[in-house]
Amino acid sequence: MLYDIGLTVFNGLAWAMATFLVAAGLTLIFGILHILNFAHGGFFMIGAYVSYSLMTGMGGSLPLWLYLVGAMLAGLVVGLLGWAVDALVFRRLRDVEDAYSLIATYALLLVCGGAVQLIWGLNYLGVTPPPALNSVVFVGNVFMPTFTIFIILCGVLAYIGLELFISRTQLGQLIRVVAADPWMAQLLGLNVKRIYLITVIFSFAMAGVAGALLMPNQSLSPELGGIFLLQAFGVVIVGGMGSIRGAFLGALLLGLIESFGTYFFPQYPGIFFLLALAIILLVKPEGIMGKEQTA
Amino acid sequence: MIDYRARFRTNLMIAGCGLAAFAVVPFVANSGLMFLAGLVAINIVFGLSWNLLFSGAGLLSFGHAMFFGGGAYAMAVVSLRMPEVPFVIGLALGAACGGLIALLFGIIALRRASGVYFAVLTLAFSELVHILITKTTFLGRNDGLVGIRRPVIDLGVFSIDLTSATSYYYFIIVVMALVAMMLWCFQNSPAGRLIQAIRQDMTRTAFLGVHVQVWQLTAFVLSGSIAAFCGAVMVPFTQIASPEIAYWTVSTQPILFTLLGGAGYFWGPAVGAILFGTIDFGTRTMQGLSEITVGILLLAVVLMIPGGLLGLLKRRRKKARRMAEGSSPAQHEQSGKTEAGQ
Repeated sequence: MLYDIGLTVFNGLAWAMATFLVAAGLTLIFGILHILNFAHGGFFMIGAYVSYSLMTGMGGSLPLWLYLVGAMLAGLVVGLLGWAVDALVFRRLRDVEDAYSLIATYALLLVCGGAVQLIWGLNYLGVTPPPALNSVVFVGNVFMPTFTIFIILCGVLAYIGLELFISRTQLGQLIRVVAADPWMAQLLGLNVKRIYLITVIFSFAMAGVAGALLMPNQSLSPELGGIFLLQAFGVVIVGGMGSIRGAFLGALLLGLIESFGTYFFPQYPGIFFLLALAIILLVKPEGIMGKEQTA
Repeated sequence: MIDYRARFRTNLMIAGCGLAAFAVVPFVANSGLMFLAGLVAINIVFGLSWNLLFSGAGLLSFGHAMFFGGGAYAMAVVSLRMPEVPFVIGLALGAACGGLIALLFGIIALRRASGVYFAVLTLAFSELVHILITKTTFLGRNDGLVGIRRPVIDLGVFSIDLTSATSYYYFIIVVMALVAMMLWCFQNSPAGRLIQAIRQDMTRTAFLGVHVQVWQLTAFVLSGSIAAFCGAVMVPFTQIASPEIAYWTVSTQPILFTLLGGAGYFWGPAVGAILFGTIDFGTRTMQGLSEITVGILLLAVVLMIPGGLLGLLKRRRKKARRMAEGSSPAQHEQSGKTEAGQ
């Protein structure tokens, strides 16, 4: 029994941190630009594919540091794409109704999916984690793949890093100012457009890194974006749109609900976080960190 | 005063011309193209049902796949497991199934959520339905339900044989034209006008003594039943109900049709569905190209031509007329959005 609880919690944490890695950028863009970005899933996927190409290009099984460098490179590529997206699309969505801007980002997701199909094809692709992360650890008698532990660590580190970045650095504080009141920030002489651009690039880069980090152990297919996107949407909404802490807590909550749900009803994986999402939205539509907006 | 009778005649004529155009297809094209045209005809009404909610009631649904899939599976189950139930009853059950799902989720979702929240909530619900289908043995899990036979409608005196693909194709286009006109009538009925008033100004309409949420729910249920009806009609045509038709990418199809064609126009989704079908057919040999084309078109529509294809045509025509008359260019160009339901 204790063994089961340990394993279930571990699985929940794995779900939560993998999802948080995707959700972090999503919630950041929503907090600052008030755009719920469907395309995030697409750029996450592009990050995964770019890193796949880098890894197989360098000969498959790589040492840990090269895998991390690859992830950073993938983040850089997707961040640059973010620049283009901001200039071409997001900048024009400021005065567009919510429904239409949601649809515009969905259109971007379509473009991403199409591009991935054109470049990498429809076949399932996959790589194994770097050898250093491709083993298992037993804690007590709970079986833990090191790669999963690594992802959980990445999620926690990403959260701490983001919290520090937003609250301690000057740039983070500027971002908060713009999120709170872009009009006033403009009056004070801040270059709001530039802050928006930085936010978008940063968020896209995070999507790219997340894709690259999570890529091993996944079968890469053009549908990959959609799966993580839905989970990340759930986490962002439960967390209260735009709050990083909320997204982190929301990820933990939904991850644990999902893994305990799947433990008790193994024939229905994947529905418990959706059920929980619906119930939480009904009871508390503004999310668990609703009032405390942004980052 | 709007002359509804004249408008009705105009729109009836549009539906009639569309029907005639679709009726010609089997004579000029091969069976593959006819199959595609049948799906496009279904998609047209699927798009119309979604736009009833979007332009009519101002609700953005990202979950119409659950209705479409619900109707399709209801029809598949009836025709496979209860072959003694007449086909028409099966269609009605399919539509009712969608209406029921819409009622259930509408009661929950409409009470609290609005705007983007509503969109994501419908997305989550629809994914829930999709996963439930893939995990339920009775519904064939991931394999879906196959081998659905096309029906023979027995009318007592004589019977209509729809077992061949061509005859069923004609059944589809006639029924879809009828449903489309029914939707037009609803949107231009007092109830339809009321729902549009709610979209334009919810608070003010509520002050008139209108129970806003009940009417939004009505629109949701109606839209859901029509979408489910489309699913139910499709199943005997394709002879398979697979879980993909309840997947969330199906939910986005009517959104694409509507926006491409022009959300502010009643026939916008129809134009969009035909355009989408054409793009899909034209790019079928290049994996991914159709997504890119549709995605870029959709972006262009949202960012540059908010009225969609029909809005673009209308603006062109107005411009041409102004040029011809030589009048001042200061005249307001009406945006497509305010003219819903014409």
